[in-house]
Amino acid sequence: MRSIRQRPGRFLATLLSAFLGAAVIMTFNSMHDTAGQPGVDPVSSETLSTAAGVVGGYGTLLVFFAIASTLTVNVRQRAAEMELLRCSGATPAQLKRMVVGEAVAVALAIGPAMLGGRALLGVFQDSGQVARSVDHSFGPVALQTGAGITLLAAAGAAFLAVRRATGGSRRRGRARRVLAYAALVAGAVSVTSTFVFSATDAALMAPPAYGAILLSVGCALKAPRLLAAVLDRLPLGGASGWLAVRNLRERAGQLAGILMSLILFTAVATATLTMQAVESDALAASGSVKSVDAKNLETLNFTVVGIIVVFVCLMLVNSLYAATTYRDREFGQQRLAGATPGQVLGVVGAEGLVLTVTGVCFGTLAALAGIVPFTVVRTDAVLPDQAFGVWLGVVAVAAAVTLGTGLGTARRVLRTPAVRAVTSAA
Amino acid sequence: MLRNGSRQDQGPGPAAEALRLVKVTKTYGSADSAVTALDGVTLGLGRGTFTAVMGPSGSGKSTLLQCAAGLDRPDSGIVRVDGTELTGGGEAELTKFRRGRIGFVFQQYNLLETLTVAQNTVLPLKLAGRRVDRRRVREVLTAVGLGDRLGHRPDQLSGGQRQRVAIARALVTEPRVIFADEPTGALDTRSARDVLRLLREAVREHGRTVVMVTHDPVAASYADSVLFLADGRLAGRMDGPTADAVAERLAHLGDDVPAGV
Repeated sequence: MRSIRQRPGRFLATLLSAFLGAAVIMTFNSMHDTAGQPGVDPVSSETLSTAAGVVGGYGTLLVFFAIASTLTVNVRQRAAEMELLRCSGATPAQLKRMVVGEAVAVALAIGPAMLGGRALLGVFQDSGQVARSVDHSFGPVALQTGAGITLLAAAGAAFLAVRRATGGSRRRGRARRVLAYAALVAGAVSVTSTFVFSATDAALMAPPAYGAILLSVGCALKAPRLLAAVLDRLPLGGASGWLAVRNLRERAGQLAGILMSLILFTAVATATLTMQAVESDALAASGSVKSVDAKNLETLNFTVVGIIVVFVCLMLVNSLYAATTYRDREFGQQRLAGATPGQVLGVVGAEGLVLTVTGVCFGTLAALAGIVPFTVVRTDAVLPDQAFGVWLGVVAVAAAVTLGTGLGTARRVLRTPAVRAVTSAA
Repeated sequence: MLRNGSRQDQGPGPAAEALRLVKVTKTYGSADSAVTALDGVTLGLGRGTFTAVMGPSGSGKSTLLQCAAGLDRPDSGIVRVDGTELTGGGEAELTKFRRGRIGFVFQQYNLLETLTVAQNTVLPLKLAGRRVDRRRVREVLTAVGLGDRLGHRPDQLSGGQRQRVAIARALVTEPRVIFADEPTGALDTRSARDVLRLLREAVREHGRTVVMVTHDPVAASYADSVLFLADGRLAGRMDGPTADAVAERLAHLGDDVPAGV
């Protein structure tokens, strides 16, 4: 327990991600429970199941990766400590504690998830897609998926990190590569299948959206490689830049989680928001008055994208915060070697900049892969005019969040005197 | 922020004293639970000397080193390194003061894990914006016996090798004073001997000034003289120390100073 008490902030970061993840998953999956109640009419039931299936499915995918990435940062940073504990036979207890913590987080998330589910049902009922008589139900499906996915992601990440710490990295590298190519191929197939649909199909938006997410997951898994390639072509001047490039090159593997969040954030936000904007404009251009259904779809889309984007954004903050607080010792060593606090912040800033640029680049590529087929099918144009504005907004948020969190956390870490920072058990 | 003392610069005519402390006092904690770590310490160390600072734990050794090395500011008193007085200012000011004047060797090495041996060695030069002379860096690393390890990372080296990298890093900036904080504390006897020899060489052959905090009488015996510290005050000095004499003196250190606060 001591190791948790000593770093309440870091443990909290992990729990927060589990809490948020479980809340999002359970909110959407409680629609399954609601639909499964006796006495729900078929139309309401279908709407609810579709929402839970489509949105819940894609939300689940994101949540899984987000939790895994935060936890991996956390556990991997503690790899040395873990190995020590393992030698003294304590790792199972550590893992158990972590899993117990996750379970508590999931339990705490039930309340907000019930409220969220009720609100979501309200949206459907206001739009007339679900009968007023249907009551919200929070049942076994919501609970099982919430607990199952959160714990699986947590345990999986912890297991992988511990195994890596004890030296099994080569096989894991291969598994990762296979997974990355699988995601890229599946994403490409999904994106290509957009062309099978006709311009007015209601489900037209699904394949490119899924495709963009899968492509971004694939890119995210290849993140260390991509980062290395970018670094080789980077002219960063000054001592801070020199250190930043070397740090990033060495820690490329550990930064994959942060890059993953950045890529996902950029891809999901840009792709979905642009596609929705294209869809809305296309409807308006066709002259037909916006039907109630189309309007509802729009609201729902924005709600869902909003939730997911905020979630991924929080994950980004979370994993960056965790990754930066663990560097107190490293910062202390830099300061003792003659770095001013300004130079240390310069290193963190340069690293953040490189990460943002890399993440945004590949996130944009994944988003474009989804946007272009959708626009071609829907409007016969190649690149929609709306894309640029959306993209600028997304990039601004990504840069602000990455640099803000990194620099803000580093500033706080730097308050500890250098001599104390290097002697405290890292 | 930095005032020049008796001499104008650190170039051709360096001050005769590499380090001067006058009535340096440092207290930790707040009023009712205050602990006086240094209680009016005054000392002067000549250029090209190798001095060990010894004392029981809690005697103020580490505080003395941190105050003298510009890692911490004393509450009162004067610290002068190579004739230049260390005055107030933020961490950035202190850092700039230390650069080029002070080198460090720590018990825990404090090498950056992401940098190679060569990169770790040139880091202080890079951070200070000074020119990096690759040939000189190679020379220094060869002198500490690591000429064939330039591309290795710290985790590929033994403790003794890491400490030798730290010494090379401290030497390459050609500092006025090198502070070593328990440099052999984490090493086996053989590696410790290598490290102590290198420190002594830095003094004898390159004219550096070395101040080493240690609790090991054997390590202290490599120095020219030993300063004893007890309860934040100087409690004696021994020139030409031997391990046995130092151990003997250390054992009776409590007898020399009045007991209590």
